[in-house]
Amino acid sequence: MAAPDFYFAINATFRFIEERWGEEALNRYWEAMGRGYFAPLSARFRTGGLAAVEAYWRDFFAEEPGGEVDVRREGGRVAIRVRRCPAIHHLRTHGREILPRYCQHCRVVSGVIAENAGLSFAMEGGDGACEQWWMEEGEGKR
Amino acid sequence: MIGCQDFCGHYDWTFEYLHREYGDEALHDYWEQAISRDSQRHARALISDKGFQGMSEYWGHTLVEEEAGYIATEAEGLYRIDMYRCPSLGFLLEHGLRHYHDYCEHCMGWIAPIMAENGFSIDHAHNHRGQCWWEIRRAADSKGPSAPGEVAGDHDVRLREDWPAGEEHLFLRSRRAVSGPA
Repeated sequence: MAAPDFYFAINATFRFIEERWGEEALNRYWEAMGRGYFAPLSARFRTGGLAAVEAYWRDFFAEEPGGEVDVRREGGRVAIRVRRCPAIHHLRTHGREILPRYCQHCRVVSGVIAENAGLSFAMEGGDGACEQWWMEEGEGKR
Repeated sequence: MIGCQDFCGHYDWTFEYLHREYGDEALHDYWEQAISRDSQRHARALISDKGFQGMSEYWGHTLVEEEAGYIATEAEGLYRIDMYRCPSLGFLLEHGLRHYHDYCEHCMGWIAPIMAENGFSIDHAHNHRGQCWWEIRRAADSKGPSAPGEVAGDHDVRLREDWPAGEEHLFLRSRRAVSGPA
């Protein structure tokens, strides 16, 4: 059930928390989600390593509607090239006001998931297109 | 990335987070402000502009998109939904997720404000097993909820053998009423 209108609710949730309690509260929400809701994913990545990371994100982006994303293994890292972010694309297509810090949730949530899996995470870009790297310790993104 | 494919999972988790961190009032405010007024503004606009026809257009699109098992019944002055297989709660049950103790509550949390502002009231019950019914009438209409089968015939979810198996929460004229058999 990957209904793209759910992106409206994700964007609205971020806005509600930031407007009501501030940027740090939104950061804490993302961190808590990474530690809590996504704890099973960290465990899966810790056990399965980068093969599990690659498989997860490949399947994930195949399910998210409207995205154009390449996921590839490059030695000690998994590189994710988001040419068209499914969430930003859907929000823009429907004229929704996108929270300026929307893309930061990837950096924070994935950063926590990676840390708890014994990996590291980096990201560049945003606003509809970005590159993300999941790396073994000591591995650089480039 | 937080995706839409497991949205119901992190939505449910968010309810528990907001409830724990900020309290019950904040959670209800979240449903009204973030979901009802921001996320679901397209539903609000349809119902505000077109009344019952807007409800039909909104839920026709949304429940099909979410692959719900449901029947909608339209009658003079009434819009009714019988939900047999809620895809949202169904996702949680299927994946063994239950962070917030009353996930079903969120529907009234965001739908009731839209209806109140547009002159409608809701009679509704859900059984926490992915089944519910809704009857929406103009607020000035003094009719109460229909008897089982009266409006939706055999499609009335209250006639199913498994309807009483869950804990029923009943709402009359958009307010929580006593629980129990309809």
